[in-house]
Amino acid sequence: MDTLKEDLKKHIIEQLNLEDIQVADIADDALLFSTEGIGLDSIDALELIVLLEKFYGIQVTNPEEGKEAFLTINTMADYIEKKRK
Amino acid sequence: MTYIGAEEIVSPLGQSIRENFQSVCENRSGISLVPHAGFNQEAIHLSKITDLSSSNKFETLLIDTLSKVAKRIDPARITSKKTLVIVSSTKGGLDRNIKDPFAPSLTSLVKHFGLANEPLVVSNACISGVLAINAANNFIKAGLYDHVIVLGCDVISDFVLFGFQSLFAVSATPCTPFDLNRSGISLGEGCAAVVVSNTPEIFKNKPLGLYSGTSANDANHISGPSRTGEGLYRSVKRTLELNKMSFGEIDFISAHGTATVFNDEMEAIAFDRLNMADIPINSLKGYFGHTLGAAGVIETAISMQMMRHNMLIKSLGYSETGTSKSLNITTGNKSSELNTILKTASGFGGCNASLVFRKL
Amino acid sequence: MSFITACCHINEESCVLNGDVIAQKNTESGDSWFKQLYKGLTLEYPKFYKMDMLSQAGFIGSELIKKSNPALSTRYQDDEIGLLFANQESSADTDIRFMESYVDKKSPSPSLFVYTLPNIVLGEIAIRNKWFGENMFAVLPKFAPEFFLQYGEIMMVAGAKAVLMGWLGILEGKIEVFVFLVEENSATGMQLNRENLITCAGF
Repeated sequence: MDTLKEDLKKHIIEQLNLEDIQVADIADDALLFSTEGIGLDSIDALELIVLLEKFYGIQVTNPEEGKEAFLTINTMADYIEKKRK
Repeated sequence: MTYIGAEEIVSPLGQSIRENFQSVCENRSGISLVPHAGFNQEAIHLSKITDLSSSNKFETLLIDTLSKVAKRIDPARITSKKTLVIVSSTKGGLDRNIKDPFAPSLTSLVKHFGLANEPLVVSNACISGVLAINAANNFIKAGLYDHVIVLGCDVISDFVLFGFQSLFAVSATPCTPFDLNRSGISLGEGCAAVVVSNTPEIFKNKPLGLYSGTSANDANHISGPSRTGEGLYRSVKRTLELNKMSFGEIDFISAHGTATVFNDEMEAIAFDRLNMADIPINSLKGYFGHTLGAAGVIETAISMQMMRHNMLIKSLGYSETGTSKSLNITTGNKSSELNTILKTASGFGGCNASLVFRKL
Repeated sequence: MSFITACCHINEESCVLNGDVIAQKNTESGDSWFKQLYKGLTLEYPKFYKMDMLSQAGFIGSELIKKSNPALSTRYQDDEIGLLFANQESSADTDIRFMESYVDKKSPSPSLFVYTLPNIVLGEIAIRNKWFGENMFAVLPKFAPEFFLQYGEIMMVAGAKAVLMGWLGILEGKIEVFVFLVEENSATGMQLNRENLITCAGF
């Protein structure tokens, strides 16, 4: 699970061009879409959907579903684990 | 004020302005289900010109439409040194040459008609058409040209369709602007023209009066509409102020109405802030789909026909209020004296534009 | 009467502000050329990294012009600064990358797609500065001084007090960026006319 989270952070930084952020800067429970947290926006959310398909083979057909899953790195990792089973 | 007329449209709804207006009057849509069009080979609702087999649709449509315009004005004016052609388009002939989407087609256009001046391309997302008509008016008022022909054209490509699919912005049904159940756009293609001039004499049919229009940026987000409708609010307010018109003088609003959840909500908020929520309003996207850079010209051309026929056209696809501020959406065709019409557009990059025209 | 009160050039190797070379590309650096320039501005604006090259070019140009004319941000109302930009290749640099995303990589990238319109750079500059004024992006066969002279004047007559103008030639590694500020009733600067604009543009 921890490797999954680390990998996820790496992919997010790379896919979303977060060049000023390091893996260590993203806490597992930091709110990804809050300016208090990582500060992602609506286009980033769509890019996360692409990322899930590309690296984890998970298809999200309804962006609303993504909203809850993309809250934090923890929720994203849970979502991936669940979908992969 | 300048003169505007000689409106023409080539779209899935017809080969001329007469055919297009006839289709719209019959509340027919150009949108149909096209098999295997989507990124995953799924069927998609598109307003596609099916009998256009050319590998170079953009250029073919430009030439075809300008030929039609030439029959509606003094044809000698097409090649005059005092005439400028403005093309409004987002992606031009991207399928032909992704690195140079406009120049090859424009070179052909210049050669075909013997145009005296290099055409100007306005590429400002979905406000391109309205912005190009405003630019035409500005060029003439500044005395730089006597006549400006505005050609708005965009064609459907995998590029644009897959892009909107990646944004989850494509509706699974024909688009339903301003409706409660709207869920995105239906892409369309087509070409439309209007001629703007400093004299009414070049037009075979009586022109209308075009007034100064403006644009304004939301300064908020590059792809998300403003939650307060700030740019649209500012553009309409400034257009009316510039022409010393009051809100009450507007008989009808031809809105942008793309049928995405956030765009239509943004427009409703802006018109409510402007105290214009009671003015009859429609979106023509239910008929033509979203034709991007052509949309502003197509919708202005249809609105000009509405004015000439004193007829409000039903906003196709709308049945139930779906915005937090309710608007006076036209739910059926209706005779109505239309003397002053406001046309608006909003697009990616946070841009918004508006224009006003009037019966002479 | 209008005046060119600041201008900025960027090509593949150097960045010039009002005639002075202010930065040269460090070929040893792991950072892209535009990232080097961004770091030189010492700004806190992480959105910069998400922009495509066209938007980064316009962003850096506009920030350098502001550095040269700090009063730009305070002298005018929020809708008195127009944006008038043009180039030859539209958003082709990013269009190619977006096309690769669905042809080669098999998934159309939404974050690339939103930059496949040339006027997005105007949005980025407007967002950065909270400028609500007039916008226009045109595609021209080559740099045309008349276009900027004529349409700049039109924007001024319509109420703009200043117009930030730019030619943003960005395609597959080619960088031909010229951003300049035109203001009315300025005590300094070059009078805006064809000759001065051509001299200033340098191409």
